[in-house]
This record gives sequence, C-alpha cells and structure tokens, in this order.
Amino acid sequence: MRIFRNLIQALKGLGRNKANVFLMTLGVAVGIASLTVIVAIGEGTRAKVLDRIAGFGFGPESFSLYAGSGRLFFRKAQMPTNLSFQDLEDIASLPTVRHAMPRQRKRLIAVYRKNSTSTRIYGVTPVWQTIRAWPITDGKFFDARDMDRKNKAAVLGATPIKNLFPDGEDPLGKSVRIGNVFFKVVGVLEKKGLTESGYDPDNRVLIPISTSVARLTHEAHLHSIKVQAMSPEVVEETMEATRRILRRNHNLSSIAADDFRFVTPTGIMEWVTEQKQAMNRMLILISTVSLLVGGIVIMNIMLVSIRERIHEIGVRRCFGARRLDITQQFLFESVFVSMLGGIVGTVLGVVVSLILKRTDMIPVQITWEPFVLAGIFSGAVGLVFGIQPARKAANWSPEETIR
Amino acid sequence: MSLIHLEDVKKSYSNIGMVTQVLKGVTLKISEGEYVAIIGPSGAGKSTLMAIMGCLGRPTSGSYYLDGEPVDRMNDKQLSRIRNEKIGFVFQAFHLLAGVSAFDNVYLPLVYCQTPPADARIRVREILEKVGLGERMSHSPGKLSGGEQQRVTIARALINQPKIILADEPTGNLDSKNGAEIMEIFDRLNAEGNTIILITHDPKVAARAHRTIHIIDGLIEKDEINENFPEPDPGAERTRA
Ligand SMILES: Nc1ncnc2c1ncn2[C@@H]1O[C@H](COP(=O)(O)OP(=O)(O)OP(=O)(O)O)[C@@H](O)[C@H]1O
Ligand SMILES: [Mg+2]
Repeated sequence: MRIFRNLIQALKGLGRNKANVFLMTLGVAVGIASLTVIVAIGEGTRAKVLDRIAGFGFGPESFSLYAGSGRLFFRKAQMPTNLSFQDLEDIASLPTVRHAMPRQRKRLIAVYRKNSTSTRIYGVTPVWQTIRAWPITDGKFFDARDMDRKNKAAVLGATPIKNLFPDGEDPLGKSVRIGNVFFKVVGVLEKKGLTESGYDPDNRVLIPISTSVARLTHEAHLHSIKVQAMSPEVVEETMEATRRILRRNHNLSSIAADDFRFVTPTGIMEWVTEQKQAMNRMLILISTVSLLVGGIVIMNIMLVSIRERIHEIGVRRCFGARRLDITQQFLFESVFVSMLGGIVGTVLGVVVSLILKRTDMIPVQITWEPFVLAGIFSGAVGLVFGIQPARKAANWSPEETIR
Repeated sequence: MSLIHLEDVKKSYSNIGMVTQVLKGVTLKISEGEYVAIIGPSGAGKSTLMAIMGCLGRPTSGSYYLDGEPVDRMNDKQLSRIRNEKIGFVFQAFHLLAGVSAFDNVYLPLVYCQTPPADARIRVREILEKVGLGERMSHSPGKLSGGEQQRVTIARALINQPKIILADEPTGNLDSKNGAEIMEIFDRLNAEGNTIILITHDPKVAARAHRTIHIIDGLIEKDEINENFPEPDPGAERTRA
C-alpha cells in the first residue's frame, strides 16, 4: 500500500530530524499534561463532593438545615450562633415533620490510656440511629434516659476504635477522655470504610447533645438540624414552613437574607451539576489554549522543517512522488509527533497527578477520560496544524526545488 | 515513433513582472536507444530543456509527446508516474537524500512505484553491486566520495528500469578519472539499449555520444550525428539494466 510506504518514509524522516521531533513533542506534551492534571483534579474534587453526599445518608423525605447563610456546606459567616433549641422545638411541632434532630459538632482529641486520636464529635439525639439507619455492631446506642441525665455515654466509629484500642481490647464500658471529659463507651458503629476520595466516615464519635451542651461545647446553639418529613411529597412544604419559623424566630426583616441554609439531595445534585458544567467550561478553555499552543509549535517547526527539506522534497518528486505522497508523508510526521506528544504528556500528567495525590493537598482522581481525550486531541492537533505545512511542501514544483 | 518528440516548445519564467524567455521554440525528436549529448553555453537553457523532457516542469507553449503520450496535458499524478516509471535522472549535484544510506537512496523510486516488485531489496543490492558499491550500501552520501555518490545516483536512476536516462552534467563535479569511469557506465548502458540524454560542457564527453545537439540562447543551433560513433545495431534487443 502506497499510503503505508509514505508512513514508513515519514517515520524514517522523523528519525533523521530528532531535534525537531523533540521540540514538537514537548510542545504538545505540555498541553496534554496540563489537560490530564486538570481533569484529574476536577474528577478528584467531584468524587470528594459525591462521597460527602453519599456519606450524608439522605432519603428523599429528609433535608438538613445549617446555621449561617451561604449555600450547602459552604457557610458565609464564621461559626454562626443563631440556630437554637427553640427553633428545633418549633420545627418538630410542625404537622408534616416526623423527626427533627439537632446536631452539634466539634473536632477534638480522644484519649484512652497512652493512645490518642483526633476525631469529629457529634452531639445528637437517639433519633440519629433511626434517621441514618447505621447499624451498631457492639453495645447499643444511647437512649432517652442518657439524654435526660446528660450521661457521659459515647458511641464510637470504627476509626477511633482502631486508634484507641489497637490491641483489640474490648472497648465497651471503657472510659475514653474527650477534651477534658471522660466518656463511657456504650456502642460501636459498623465500619463503612474509606471513600474513594479519602473521606473517612468512620472517624466519628456520637454523644447525647444534652451532654455536649452541658459538658463539652458549653454552647446552647446548634450546628445543624436534620429534618425528616412525613413523606417526600411534603418536603417542599415543610421547608417553606421551616423557613417562616426561622425568619420569625430570628427577627429577620422582610428584606434581610436567610441566616440559615438548607441542604437537600436535589440541592446537592444541582450544585454538582453546576460544578461539573463550570469545570467543563474551564477544561474546554484550558485545553483549547494549551492545544492551540502545541499546534502552533508543531505548525511553525514543520514550516521551518519543510523549508530545510525543500531539497529532499524535490528529490522525492523527481523520482515519482506525487503531491499527495508528499502531503501524506508530512501529515504522518506531524500527526505521529503530535500523538507522541500526547502519550508523553499523558504520562507526565499522570505522574504529576500521583505526586499531588501523595501530598494530600488536592483531591485527585485518575480516570480514563484524559487518555481518550489526549489521543483524540493530539491526533487532531497534528492533523489540523500539519495540513498547511504539508500542502505547502507538496505544492513546490519539483523543477524549482531541485535547482 | 520517436520516444521523445518536442514540437515548438517554449518556456518562459516570470518573476515580479519580468518575463524571461528561456526556450524560444525547440523542436526535437529522439528515438529509443539513442545516445544524445546536449551542449551549449551556460544559461542557454539546457537544464530547462531537460526539466521539460523529464516531466519536472511543463512547457509554456508547444507540445511534448513522450512515448506517444501527450505529456503537456497530464496532471500531477500522471506526470509523477511517468517520472517514476520512464525516466531516470542523474544530476551534477547528485541530489541524494542526506543522512540516508546508499541503499535507501537507490530504493527511493521503488517507494513511489505502482506496485513495488517482490524482489525490490534484492534488486537494489544487485544494482549497487553492478556500479561497484556492494561494500558501501549502508553508507550515507556524506561518507562517500564524489565518484561513489554519482554511482549511487546512477543506480537510483536505473532501479526502475526507465526508458530514458537524463543526465545533467554527470561528470561536472568529478575529477577526470572518476568522470571517465562514470562515462564508461553510460557507454555500457547505451550499448545495452538504454536511451541516454546527457548535458555536458566537455567536448570529450560529448564526443562519446552518437548525436550532439547544440543549444544557444534557447534555440537548437546545430543537431549533428557523430561519425566516429559505432552505429547502433537496429536489431539489438534492448536489454534491461
Ligand atoms: N525560475 C526561473 N526564473 C527565472 N529565470 C530562470 C529560472 N530558471 C532558469 N532561469 C534562467 O533561464 C536560463 C537558462 O537556465 P538553465 O538552467 O536552463 O541554463 P543551462 O543551459 O542549464 O546553464 P548551465 O550550463 O549554467 O547549467 C538562465 O538564464 C536562468 O537564469
Ligand atoms: Mg544547467
């Protein structure tokens, strides 16, 4: 096949012009590498968010209410103090509400004998177990009596259990110091395991919120309230009623913004979609720019290269090469070099992504998309930016080029 | 029927509005098996004429029949095929691909032929041996002497068994000893039946051909038969190189 013979001539030609090959490969590789890293970071961020949602244990009949204005998990003010037990009571008395669960949250050091670990402490009510449907593997959840008496009872997730009782000692009934308070371990949560993005749902300790208020946080305001409506159909209506209660309780004027925010599965999904679209837009922009740069590098080097190789082209034409043969040869060269740049760039990008993942600063996830993108885009760049030099090479008359 | 038939061929170049008339009406017939020398002063248009005969460029006007086919009406694809199959070029400046082995240089016309012969590699080797370069096939032009390079170009010109060998001052860059060796190869090729057209400045070289065409200022001044030349045997079979 003639086209195959031209491909071989192209590869041999590249072998004789290694410096040019290196420069062109580099030009594309940088673009593709940045593309790969950006995709990996984007995927990593998205996976982290999705993990958080999955870890939320939302059903279609639930929503959460967070103190402070803002959106979803991103509050605007520092540590808002405006969500109260009064708010909770008012919401719980709504006819469409099945459960309303208050939550306080604090990151503290837990200590047992010589072992210590940093963990998230949640002050909740016994309803937590009903809403989250998270099984207890050992012991039991604290109950209403523990709530009333502000008992220092704690249910531990698998991670603090592992860190505090590394020798497999039975944790039940043991006294664990959290902050400056000693708690008795009454139950152990089933292990869920790390999520893909490295979020650890097992790193938590649950205590009665009454105990949390009285002994740990010494604060009467809530971090959030989780509401379970009677049915998915009344969620919307319940949220509206909740909003009215809170605006009234917080004395908000009609023009003031909410000083609380709702987190719902649909809200999260909308947000994820928005983020994905924003990320895609950014991706398209960055990849376009970087590939454009790579393409221009290729085009310019090819143009210089064919000028250096006028003589070669003329000789080929003298001995029977058609215009099409010359075009094919040079197109093969640019496409091959570009795809080589794609491969080098992908490898480079994956290496950088893995290093970023090691540092743990940026969530990173490697997916197959960048490989496909790199293949398609680098090939296309070589084709698009190679066509002009290749045609230019083919259009020199053999008579002129050999003179 | 003539192998080459030029009829009132003119060629002019125009550069930035300036038109240079290089060939001013050349009519010429060359038959198969002839050994023709073209001589004339520098700038007379010899190389231009050769480029037209070799289908590297088209005449501005006039007609050109090669092997009975009207070449001046052919497209790039057809012209390329003719260059590939019917013509073998030998140049004063060799025009070998730099950095490419003698073997691959000779192989070049086979890259562009319709169907490469199954024994292509063997043929390349044989032809290089024939011109005395059996030991130097993997050398690139930079590692070969001028005489050796010219022998590579002759092997390249012959590899596709062309009907015509067009040589533009093939000995111009060589010393007398190497030049003589190259001319012996041409003599032998013509004796084997190949049509040879060579441009030269050297009257001694021209004297080896059986016909000499003098070109002066874009026109044929004289077209004479060399009496000393042994008449080619009309019955001789054209043996392929
Ligand atoms: N592309 C071109 N544009 C303008 N003039 C040209 C072009 N090519 C050739 N010429 C002119 O045509 C004339 C004939 O050139 P050609 O190369 O055919 O001469 P020649 O007989 O081969 O000479 P020499 O013996 O020096 O090789 C020269 O005056 C040259 O300057
Ligand atoms: Mg000349």
